[in-house]
Amino acid sequence: MALRKTALLSGITAAVLGLAACGGGTGSGSNNNNSSGSKQVSSIKLVAAEYSADHTKAFWDQFAATYKQKYGITLDVQIISWNDIAQQSTTMVQNGNPPDVLNINYYSSYAKDNLLYSADDVLPASVQSDLLDSFKTSGTFNGKLYGFPDLSSARALFYNKTLFSRAGISAPPKTWDEFEADAKKVQALGNGVVGYAEPLGPEEAQAEFSIWTFNNGGDWKDASGKWTVNSDKNIQTLQFLKKLSVTDKVTQNNPGKTNRTDGAFPLFTGGKAGMIVGFGPLSGTLDKDKKVDYGIAPMPTNGGIAPQTYGVTDYLNAFKKNGNQQALKDFYELYYQPDQVNTFIKAEGFLPVTKSGLDVFKSEPALKVYIDTLPNVHLTPNQDPVWDKVLLAVQQQIGAAVAPSGDPKKVLDALQKTAEAGG
Amino acid sequence: MALVNRSRRGRLPGWVALVWLSPALVLIAGVVIYPAIELVKAALGEYSITGLRTGSAGLSNFRKVLDHPDLGTVLKNTAEWVVAVVAITIVISLGLAQLLSKEFFGRRVVRWAIIVPWAASLVITARLFTLLFDFYHGLINRLLVFLHILPRPVDFLGDDHWTMPSMILVGVFVSLPFTIYVLLAGLSAISDDVLEAARIDGAGPWQLYRQITLPLLRPALLIASVLNIIYVFNSFPIVYTLNDRNPGYAHDTSITFMYKLAFKSAEHSVGMSAAAGVFNVLLILVVVMIYLRVVSWQEAVR
Amino acid sequence: MTLLSGARADAAAAVPVAAPRPAGWRRARRFVLPLAGFSVALVFLAPYLVMLLDALRPSSDVLASPPTLFPRQWQWNTFGTVLSDDRFLNWLKTSLLVAASSTAIVLVVSVPAAYATARFKFPGRTPFLLLVLVTQMFSPTSLVVGIYREFFEADLVNTYLAIILTNAAFNLAFAVWILHGFFSSIPVEVEEAADLDGCSRLGTLWRIMLPLTKPGLVTAVVFTFIAAWNEYVVALTLMQDDAKKPLTVGINSYVTGYSQHWDQLFAASLVAIVPVVILFAVIEKYLVGGLTAGSVK
Repeated sequence: MALRKTALLSGITAAVLGLAACGGGTGSGSNNNNSSGSKQVSSIKLVAAEYSADHTKAFWDQFAATYKQKYGITLDVQIISWNDIAQQSTTMVQNGNPPDVLNINYYSSYAKDNLLYSADDVLPASVQSDLLDSFKTSGTFNGKLYGFPDLSSARALFYNKTLFSRAGISAPPKTWDEFEADAKKVQALGNGVVGYAEPLGPEEAQAEFSIWTFNNGGDWKDASGKWTVNSDKNIQTLQFLKKLSVTDKVTQNNPGKTNRTDGAFPLFTGGKAGMIVGFGPLSGTLDKDKKVDYGIAPMPTNGGIAPQTYGVTDYLNAFKKNGNQQALKDFYELYYQPDQVNTFIKAEGFLPVTKSGLDVFKSEPALKVYIDTLPNVHLTPNQDPVWDKVLLAVQQQIGAAVAPSGDPKKVLDALQKTAEAGG
Repeated sequence: MALVNRSRRGRLPGWVALVWLSPALVLIAGVVIYPAIELVKAALGEYSITGLRTGSAGLSNFRKVLDHPDLGTVLKNTAEWVVAVVAITIVISLGLAQLLSKEFFGRRVVRWAIIVPWAASLVITARLFTLLFDFYHGLINRLLVFLHILPRPVDFLGDDHWTMPSMILVGVFVSLPFTIYVLLAGLSAISDDVLEAARIDGAGPWQLYRQITLPLLRPALLIASVLNIIYVFNSFPIVYTLNDRNPGYAHDTSITFMYKLAFKSAEHSVGMSAAAGVFNVLLILVVVMIYLRVVSWQEAVR
Repeated sequence: MTLLSGARADAAAAVPVAAPRPAGWRRARRFVLPLAGFSVALVFLAPYLVMLLDALRPSSDVLASPPTLFPRQWQWNTFGTVLSDDRFLNWLKTSLLVAASSTAIVLVVSVPAAYATARFKFPGRTPFLLLVLVTQMFSPTSLVVGIYREFFEADLVNTYLAIILTNAAFNLAFAVWILHGFFSSIPVEVEEAADLDGCSRLGTLWRIMLPLTKPGLVTAVVFTFIAAWNEYVVALTLMQDDAKKPLTVGINSYVTGYSQHWDQLFAASLVAIVPVVILFAVIEKYLVGGLTAGSVK
């Protein structure tokens, strides 16, 4: 009996090893690091961040098929969740094996390390002129365009119409004072309802803070490029956010330790929050669940300025590798075709990055709030590699400022120091 | 069958032993030794935020880790985390293993149920508990308030006083199945004859346990405790996931600290992270060595 | 002086009259033990029952506040959706292949090693045992970069072989240690008897020793299988094709910052638990018994 077991075991092992060795296939695309520079690659690799289970892979699979058909080059697609992409991309670069195209949320540090092609190398001229100017500016490092946007999103104030009417509020707030008053009214409804869901946890704290401070006239840098993290306007904003939570008590519990995905958003989609800063995918969820009658409005401002739209783009970074320049040119040419890029954007619920895209999306009434302001959208200073580090510092430190014992000025002073020290 | 005996050992020429050991050695060399060397090399390098190596850092990464303002907190958390989880797990496991070693109706089903927290991936269990502990949508709060054990909901994951206990609860929960299993294996090796003989000689149940069962469980306890110390120390998903919403390092252990140094902090330095990784290995090595010396392992294993 | 005689001496020094068991205990035992057992089982299963209920409700109800144990709205098609998803089925196949293969390799490698360290004295014996333990001390997160580099150089990234070997290596320590303990506890007389009967050392190992260490083998199998089944970091880094990802990595897709399907995430996780429990149920009976039989006689 033992002998049979042995035989079985050895048999399984042998079979499995045989299977694995031949069925596995080789790893990174072949011919990626040719010494003869003029030889072109036969396959390139894309590392794509996963926005959604339903759409991301499906899009890139059909894109790869079209790409192969059109240009004869294989596109290996690796889908990685947003939670893991920082670790994975760093590991790849650390081992000298970056992908040919990396879909990630920053670019200038890669450009600074001289790892990327610029637009002149791989982006067709027609695409360059089609990209929205605000994104081109934001994607330009050292005078060259390196940050090619894959999609964009803009944030706006979402409000619960049902709660508003119950609280006797007729229109969404336009100023901070109105906002505070409205939040108090909704909070007074009781029954587990909060006036405003404020996520300042590490997930996207910089987004929440940015949109508020932009609408107070504050910013991360001033026009001359100097860091203004601890400017008076920024401190005032953070103090306001702290006041909402600690003094007025119109936010959810512990905003400094609440993330969007499993904290603030569920409160709003469950009808338990009067207002929240939201974006396209949140609309998608709300429309699917059909539980909340919601409206979208421009952010309230302080000091009488015009409402600022906070925008975010992610990037498709083009890595310099031997022989892949033409393949990358083909990639971007195909990606920015209106029927490709806009299909992707529409499926995932985001906003266009090209002027031609604006025309396509203009006809959607639900997106009007964003589309009108998209050309003038206000972004974070992505073109500065130092920002890539400051961003992380902000995510890790800013939440502490809105705790009862938090000190907004101290936190922003510390961040200013980090920024000035070069991250 | 007599459990206790002296197993005589033959003398073996080194090369023959090598044959028996070589597959294990090859695997270990490949998958652990080589990457460990890479880890040390990385710790000695200077890296950009992108992961690109920009030169040699000498020992500065090690120095930066030691000078890190949050290092003290992290080490304290690590000690609390490991000691609490391992100690509580062992104590509870001893009791439950005892229960499960007795024959009773439905024991089989109970044994299957016990395996589930171990069968489920740590990441998923951690995510589940993140939902269960939540202030607003967490069932634990709802239950405890309903039973009037709590007057109002507690922010188990965000309140600084409750975060570590919550982590420890989950840590114990997922460590119990493996530990119970190891102790059960140990218990099953204790023959009933020994226990019966002692009982006839007048030993009460508690005496029986302390003077016969526990000593005979020593090998199993040793394996369970040493491996638990190592696994709990290196445990990443629970600490990381339960702290997903907490900024800074207030409740991180040395493993999540190492990860965040590389990918989530302003330092974003794989060099510093690798240095922290080297320190981690040295730390757990020292801890285990001390532990083994304290329980004089040579004797138990023979 | 063996422990046995020590125990006898202790016991003899105690009250000479046999301490009687409480009379009612035998009867109560029939009810108390199952009750205790089922309560324990309930505690261990409770979170996963919640997971089951979360899989049977729309994703929006999972994070609803205030939460309800039972779904506000039942949704019965989640498991069907997940089980008919090709991506999920591929992940499941990968997990099965990797876990089974890693377990097989661990057995094949650890048995000779544990036998050698238990039975023979040779230079490097203790260092080897300690080395095996030390390798467990490296967290996979620290090692993953080096592992990636190594397999990249060997052009084995994105192959099943790579993660199978990695998982096997990571779990060797436990298997060797526990088998070492079992091999050590078998009296030499057993082997000597077999030797006298004309068995070769290898034959003795397979025919006599291994059956006696069944509980250890079973423990090693379960431990390795589960560890490989639930491994995350190395699989995440090495497996690039979506179809080659194991379940642990793949199910992350269900919940992202932009699109959350908590119901599918939990349904998939529950399905992932099933193979492990089946494996356990099949071999669990080998854990007990076999050893108490008088093998020396």
